[in-house]
Amino acid sequence: MNSGKPIDRREFLKSASAATLGATLLAPMPGQAGSAQAGKSRVVLVRDVNVLDEGGRPRAAAVQEMLDTGIEALTGKPDPQSAWKTLIRPDDVVGIKNNRWPYLTTTAEVQNALKTRIMEAGVPESRLAIDDLGVLQNPIFQKSTALINARPMRSHHWAGVGSLIKNYIMFIPDPSAIHPDSCADLASIWNLPMVKGKTRLNVLVLFTPQFHSFGPHSFNPKYVWKYYGLLLAFDPVAADATGLRIVEGIRRDYFGEERPLNPPAKHIAVADTKYHLGTADAQRIELIKIGYDKDSFV
Amino acid sequence: MPRTLNDIGRKLPGSIGGWTRAAPPVVYTPQNLSTYIDGGAELYLSYNFRQALSLKYKTTGKDEITVDIFEMGTSADAFGVFAHSRETIDSTVGQGSEYAAGLLTFWKDRYYVSILAYPETPAKKDVVFTLGRTIADSIEGRGTLPPIISLLPAEGLAPQSVRYFHHYIWLNSFYFVSDENVLDIGNDTPAALGTYKQGGVGLVLLLVRYPSAARAEAAAARFRKDFLGGAPGDLREMKGGRWSGLLRRGDLIAVVFNAPAADAVRAMFIRIKG
Repeated sequence: MNSGKPIDRREFLKSASAATLGATLLAPMPGQAGSAQAGKSRVVLVRDVNVLDEGGRPRAAAVQEMLDTGIEALTGKPDPQSAWKTLIRPDDVVGIKNNRWPYLTTTAEVQNALKTRIMEAGVPESRLAIDDLGVLQNPIFQKSTALINARPMRSHHWAGVGSLIKNYIMFIPDPSAIHPDSCADLASIWNLPMVKGKTRLNVLVLFTPQFHSFGPHSFNPKYVWKYYGLLLAFDPVAADATGLRIVEGIRRDYFGEERPLNPPAKHIAVADTKYHLGTADAQRIELIKIGYDKDSFV
Repeated sequence: MPRTLNDIGRKLPGSIGGWTRAAPPVVYTPQNLSTYIDGGAELYLSYNFRQALSLKYKTTGKDEITVDIFEMGTSADAFGVFAHSRETIDSTVGQGSEYAAGLLTFWKDRYYVSILAYPETPAKKDVVFTLGRTIADSIEGRGTLPPIISLLPAEGLAPQSVRYFHHYIWLNSFYFVSDENVLDIGNDTPAALGTYKQGGVGLVLLLVRYPSAARAEAAAARFRKDFLGGAPGDLREMKGGRWSGLLRRGDLIAVVFNAPAADAVRAMFIRIKG
């Protein structure tokens, strides 16, 4: 795991040739993203302290910049357009799976930034959809050839955290069927025909992650943390495991003591050990950090 | 005086402080609670949730105040779900309450109540507390705390840390024990957790009461093997030099986690009544 000094975008681009070698080994072919890779899984953490405006809302231009920087680092390509062409073909039918939880959404800014680059890769708007609760009925998702998985991370009363793995729960008709044992088997959803092998990119939104749940609606503004981050990865388990470490670090800092998530986010470990969807082992994750690095917790 | 959830609903004011009830209350049952609060429903189901009544108060604009009244199986369950994530001790409303940034929660008798008004304003906060007191006053009687909580030694106990549960999922509030049911905790095994500061570090005490001594011994045997690794005297030094230990006394199991020394584990066991 790379836990050294963070680099900014300019510095990163200077070392793009070095990064390209790693990316050649790690970047999956379109349609294979999300499966465990040989060697380490690359996770890119991009942070920009200016991504939120005075009201706490994301600034669209900053979000686009963060996404572009992240995708370049993830793929080892020198610009976002060429990076996206390694992920999306012009003939793809693309579903962006977002999260509509009213208190903490994927955000329109992240969705628009993704949409912009996907369309630049040659996918017309008519073959692109953004959805959450309606994915099973959405004709674009029904015939999708590529999925982009984008959601915020938050503490969750039953699954430990709302994660990228968990974000596909709406691909089953009865989400409560996956609830036993604190949603341990969420990764099984990733083997369903509508999903399997289609995920080209995972984006874990960490602008303001929620680190503690309070009350029946699970949300309280007191327990969100301005983190200013985006995590990008092909491996959803590696991204979730990294996001989980960040949330645990925030909890440690806020409460002033070890305060494990209750319940633990068992589904992330099980996604690795039982379903082999990716790796949750920090030793097998190559973490690239770009930008603001104060209190990164990883 | 109201005796049922519907009675309490009927007693709610039609308007308060310029806020007016927007629509008739909606009632949720164990079968459809997840349609309202998604996966968060499992927390309530694990505390014998019976039904909930939900309604909104509105004023001009889009602002609203959401009132949710949960009827739980027992007053112990109402306390358990209230205490599940609390961080402070306060009894301004009901038998125990907590307020943070626009959200008031409290418990009284077998009811757990949430009044949510985001974003918080001073005026809305006043209405939230007035509503809370109105609802608390309309709930007849007071609930009793889970008896097992009284077995937690009082000296040094952080009162806001006290947890009550009977589902293994809630074992890990202050110390990661396991994501498996290593102590055979279920609906018939009331459990309590509390933390004690010793040397600046939180020692965690867990108590579980079983229906029989035989069942307690079976659970203890598994825990000794899986968690304590068969350590002699049921005491084991864990990561970071911290100690854990187990004691079974009849149908009661006590487990100490994160103690600074083996002696601290033994000393805590001596203090446990019952």
